[in-house]
Amino acid sequence: MEVQRHRLANGLRVAVVPIAGLRSVAVLLAIEAGQWFEPAGRPGVARFVAQTLLRGTATRDASTWADALDSIGAAARLDVGLHAATFSAQSLAEDLDVLLELMADALVRPRFGPEEVELVRQQTLAQIEEDERNTRAVVERAWRELVYPLGHPFRARAIGDSDVVRTVTADELRAHHRRAIRPGGAVLVVAGGTEAGRAFAAAEEAFAGWSRAAPQDGKPVREAALASALRRLVVVPDKTQSDVMLGWPGLPRNDPGFVAARVTNMVFAADTFASRAGHRVRDELGLAYYVFSTLGSSRGQSPWTVRMGVNPVNVERAVSVTLEELRKIVDGKVAPADLVLAQDKLVGELDVARESPGGVAAQLLEGELFELGPDHVERYPRELRAVTREQVVETARTLLPPERHALAIAGPPLPEAARAVSEAA
Amino acid sequence: MSHFLEHMLFKGTPAHPKGDLDKLLARYGALWNAFTSEDVTCYFETVPRERYPVALELEADRMRNAAISPEETEAERTVIVSEREGLENDPSFLLGEQLQAVAFSRHPYGQGVIGSKDEIKLMTRDGLYAHYRRHYAPNNANVIVAGDGAAEELLDRAAAAFGPLDAETPIDPPKAPEPPQYGEKRVVVRRAGGAVPLIQIAYHAPRAADPRAPALSLLAVALGGATAGGGESASGRSSRLYRALVDTGMATDVDASFQLMKDPYLFVVEATLRPHVAHQEVERVILEELARIARDPLAEEEFMRVRRQMLSASAFMTDTITWRAFRAGQLLATGAATSLEEWYERLAAVTALEVRAAAAEVFQEKGRVVGWFVPEAAA
Repeated sequence: MEVQRHRLANGLRVAVVPIAGLRSVAVLLAIEAGQWFEPAGRPGVARFVAQTLLRGTATRDASTWADALDSIGAAARLDVGLHAATFSAQSLAEDLDVLLELMADALVRPRFGPEEVELVRQQTLAQIEEDERNTRAVVERAWRELVYPLGHPFRARAIGDSDVVRTVTADELRAHHRRAIRPGGAVLVVAGGTEAGRAFAAAEEAFAGWSRAAPQDGKPVREAALASALRRLVVVPDKTQSDVMLGWPGLPRNDPGFVAARVTNMVFAADTFASRAGHRVRDELGLAYYVFSTLGSSRGQSPWTVRMGVNPVNVERAVSVTLEELRKIVDGKVAPADLVLAQDKLVGELDVARESPGGVAAQLLEGELFELGPDHVERYPRELRAVTREQVVETARTLLPPERHALAIAGPPLPEAARAVSEAA
Repeated sequence: MSHFLEHMLFKGTPAHPKGDLDKLLARYGALWNAFTSEDVTCYFETVPRERYPVALELEADRMRNAAISPEETEAERTVIVSEREGLENDPSFLLGEQLQAVAFSRHPYGQGVIGSKDEIKLMTRDGLYAHYRRHYAPNNANVIVAGDGAAEELLDRAAAAFGPLDAETPIDPPKAPEPPQYGEKRVVVRRAGGAVPLIQIAYHAPRAADPRAPALSLLAVALGGATAGGGESASGRSSRLYRALVDTGMATDVDASFQLMKDPYLFVVEATLRPHVAHQEVERVILEELARIARDPLAEEEFMRVRRQMLSASAFMTDTITWRAFRAGQLLATGAATSLEEWYERLAAVTALEVRAAAAEVFQEKGRVVGWFVPEAAA
């Protein structure tokens, strides 16, 4: 992968991977404006700002901006995650300059008009109400509340809290925009049918008006720690399946143990075929259609969770089998073949992800955003392969103690015996 | 049955017992899975270039030699029930399943893909095996290989893998074509609190091979945009239904879809209602928008925007290896076109008048099925 880099005068970093023969380009612009950077006690402000950015600029009202984006046939979205607010887009290569200009217009010169703010407010409140009836959203809310203390940026989902959404003002949105939507710390990644020089020139032109600002400073955040096994059941009426989320607070992306954690995650539950829990729960016992684990990337203790969809009758068994598999890892029962399989899978996925410009851009983004070094893409597969069995066992022992987990369940009422366990916890 | 069988093809063959290839492909980092639609079951692997012969070998082997043992059938049955139960948590699935059943009184499209929980429980190993032997043969399949490499070499490899397999007696098309519908049908699904209000409106629409199919694809973009919606999506906000329902605060999300299918299927419009907005009001606005687009051709500027979205989306798809193969397979299996290029040319040739004409032909009361999902207070 041939990466070319450039830094704009305002601090925005640009990385480009030209791919010959493609008609399109994938663009990722990640700004340090995710949940980690939200004001304490105001969950939902970051997403509210992001949504309002798509609702008109100083020179284009919302309809005109939407018409312009659709006129080049671009696909674009703006998501707020744990660490970053990420504009992800794809356009024909010939439209890259227009796409970047539209993105810059939304980010740098938002309108925050009263009608548009009100529309976003009502849409968000409606979405929060919808989510309360969606078992996947409910289980995530319940799990985060179990794990993260009050005031922690990851305690709420990105959509936030309905009281915050109801009360946030345009002035608060503008203030957060000034504080968080800044070029310092942000990264623009372009991959696809363009030359690097052309992409750099388009970025210079589009983002020249973005005032220089250094990355945001770190802030003190209370540590999340589980002192015992915690459990919460939320009944969502008239559902058939229980959504289950079992997990622990993770570790920062810049932590030296993060790569070992990725490998541990794959050995444990990340994949149905290459991981132990997935294989046991789905393939051997037929308890769930899906079971997988993920470990988030951020500056903080991102969620490290196993998720599964299970019939209420099977919830206890699926959870206990998953914890049994984890205990084996903690007890050092990691066969060399399991470790090699997990490492091969993680390294192989990097190759396969390069099948699309979006995959190439996504692979590059993490290293650029967390400043893991210009050679990160080349080094990373070697780092994955260098993880030892001892590191996997130690990571599981330290970060995934089976007896101190957080378990959230959302869906139909559980059978009597399981409910008694939930209520006692 | 086709969907159940799809699961069983991951359970091994005599040459490759269960778990063998799982691990091998996992080791390559492969993206591999399968899906079943109303028309086809599709198995796919995306692997590093040097590994593609393994994917061909796997597919050729399991096309004729899947074990499908009684024990594995029983073990997988609970997984499929679990898949069904997960879908039942989604109100859009519940309404869509009913809408499809009401829309097709004779054609097998009315059965849906996954089947009811009871049907899943009643399926027998022998029934599945007979279905497998009858339908899984090289003369009833398309093999698509996309990616780096000389076309001739890829073709030779595919021919070497699948050429030796026995053909089966050709499969007749379904003997129950859907008779014409002579008036609007309606369906209401009521569930307790765990759902949001939805509307789906479907119209009987032509098959993929019909000359109007490209115009109907553009019509769906004009109404709902080219990419999936959701609050975080910035594109598709210039579409007719987004403007009429989301910008006005009546709905949180809208979608319009025309799927390329082997037999005549449905053009479907869906809206997720804001809480406390009446179904009849949203239905009225949707029907007004459909009548308007069937009456007046898109103005030049709007038409060019829609066309550009359609053609760009097509280019994005073919810039990704997996999607390139999916698209080629879909075009071949449904008879929409013989190549990606041919389909692209047909999309590019559509005019605003053809879009209007297609809308006028499809959006007719007598071919309409309206579905409401109505949440009720929890017991």
